[in-house]
Amino acid sequence: MTGDARSELLKVRDLTLDYATVDARVRVLQNASLTINKGEIIGIVGESGSGKTTLGLAIIGLLDSPPAEIIDGSIDFEGKDLLKLTYAELSQVRGPGIGMVFQESLAALNPVYRTDTQLKESIDVLRKAQKLEFSDKAELDMMIQILNDLRLDRPEWVLKKYPHELSGGMRQRVSIAMAIVERPKLLILDEVTTGLDVYVQNRILRILKELNRRTGTAMIFITHDLLVASQICDRLYVMYAGRVMEEGITEHVMNTPAHPYTQKLFAAIPQGFVDAPPLPATKGEAPDLRKLPTGCKFNPRCPLAMEKCMKTEPPVFQTEQGSKVLCWLLEKQ
Amino acid sequence: MNNIVEVNNLTVSFIVRGGNLLLFERGGGMMNVVNDVSFNVREGETFGLAGETGSGKSVIAWALVGLMKPRSGSVRVLGKEIDFRKKTDVTYLRRNIGIVFQDPVGSLNPRLRVREIIREGLIAAKTFDRREYDKRIEEVVDLVGLRKSSLEAYPRELSGGEKQRVSLARAIAVPRKMVILDEPTSSLDVSVQAQVLNTLKELKAKLNLSYFFITHDINVMKYMSDSLGILYYGKLLEVGRTYDVVTNPKHPFTVRLMSNVPGLKRTPITETEDRLTEQGSSATGCVYSKVCPRVFEKCSNSPPMLNLGSDHHAACFLHENT
Repeated sequence: MTGDARSELLKVRDLTLDYATVDARVRVLQNASLTINKGEIIGIVGESGSGKTTLGLAIIGLLDSPPAEIIDGSIDFEGKDLLKLTYAELSQVRGPGIGMVFQESLAALNPVYRTDTQLKESIDVLRKAQKLEFSDKAELDMMIQILNDLRLDRPEWVLKKYPHELSGGMRQRVSIAMAIVERPKLLILDEVTTGLDVYVQNRILRILKELNRRTGTAMIFITHDLLVASQICDRLYVMYAGRVMEEGITEHVMNTPAHPYTQKLFAAIPQGFVDAPPLPATKGEAPDLRKLPTGCKFNPRCPLAMEKCMKTEPPVFQTEQGSKVLCWLLEKQ
Repeated sequence: MNNIVEVNNLTVSFIVRGGNLLLFERGGGMMNVVNDVSFNVREGETFGLAGETGSGKSVIAWALVGLMKPRSGSVRVLGKEIDFRKKTDVTYLRRNIGIVFQDPVGSLNPRLRVREIIREGLIAAKTFDRREYDKRIEEVVDLVGLRKSSLEAYPRELSGGEKQRVSLARAIAVPRKMVILDEPTSSLDVSVQAQVLNTLKELKAKLNLSYFFITHDINVMKYMSDSLGILYYGKLLEVGRTYDVVTNPKHPFTVRLMSNVPGLKRTPITETEDRLTEQGSSATGCVYSKVCPRVFEKCSNSPPMLNLGSDHHAACFLHENT
């Protein structure tokens, strides 16, 4: 699935972004690049603080400025650079162009509105954008249809419920419904399965995959759960300290991870039974973006760090399989 | 092997009145959030409890530290039957069982330093002399792998993994037989989770601790627990040695649960028409019968816990003649 220019939907090029606060300026994204083709599902994975959500919010233009400051880069969506659009123009892209579903469904939904009112808000956006007219009946049918597509039982009942009356899995599907009712070309899903049981999680993944096949909606799946990402994504982007450390086809990233960080991430997932040996835990915690080391940002935690890694930050190297990796180990001798 | 905790036919109820859930007192419309649950936790072992959100996992944990009174059933700790109405019994319970809650932020007082947080637990338990507090605090902090310097820190200055270590230090500051771990790593990143899980296992061996481990992550559950119970809408559906339950699940719910666990080998999601994966419980008969793919007439009765040999039990009529 290599990037053919015609099938490219979104291209983020070398996005560099700072959060500037009163007492500090922090680099949150450094030369982050990402491409998504029509109908593709990509995953952005990494630990907390790696810049996954910031990248997602930057794409849809929801970052507050200040503190966010874009230093460099471009975000091309269907030939337009989103960073150069005015607020009004960007509003046109949001919704029917790019939709987003947030992690906390309880916080993302308005607690004083029933499901039907929330969905109507989204339908109104679509109506205004495409100058459509619906009767109340058509609108209701549309809402029921979408909840049905998301495999919610008794959609009529769900429509009359407030967010707190629904279970986590149901709520998450209502927030997905709000996004997809506008028929976006690109859907950004930020940790949508986090905190749900394996069971409900599996179900939501299945629904998303089906939606992707049926409507061709491209998806950016942001998660810290590598296994979940690997189940649904065609390609993975592994982030650390605001950089894309490894990018490649899911099978390659999973089966033959090239970056020591990716290797560590997969090795940390418990697999054996109770008598299994201790997990190969990476020392240290997620990096403090205010005090990043020189050279490769992963070097303090990397078991294979060389002298070079301490001094110079590695450029992008390509593996034989076509993964792109930020690591000196891949430099050809 | 000795049992540290024996739970028999434990039932915990909430009063449901006008949509509000109140702690069970007496009478009124009652809902059994934990229904007739029995299991044992052996000395030096981990008993894992898996189940969906709302299945009652945490309620069992709360009952085990006396934060909630059971409606019926018995809890024995080190052979002593606990009378939840007696304050001395509840104190006895808490002196032997510690707890680490899921939310590392909410369970630590933001206005106290780490040293004070751990000291509070020591003061409450009265097992140590006041002059020994500081020595003990430094000991446990070392045990859980925190730096000495963190003792003077406030919780907000610590990372998520460190906060969970503070909770753990507080739970083991008083020497206890068992620690309840309620989703201790679910808010942590994988690499930090790996560090915390390693520490937990080391402590278990070093202090001969038992754990009552709650999680919805089956990979973590497999790695941590010796025995495993599967809870569904307050009912224990299956219980046994972890290896048996994971590799040879007997209850249809467990079978499905295990098949949904993502592994390190990529298993792409398949889209199948599968309305049956909807959750739901049946008020009469087997709780799982409403959504069970293998339901038959008999399931309108409540299935007993059937002994399938080698410590493996399942509450399902399908296994009646095996």
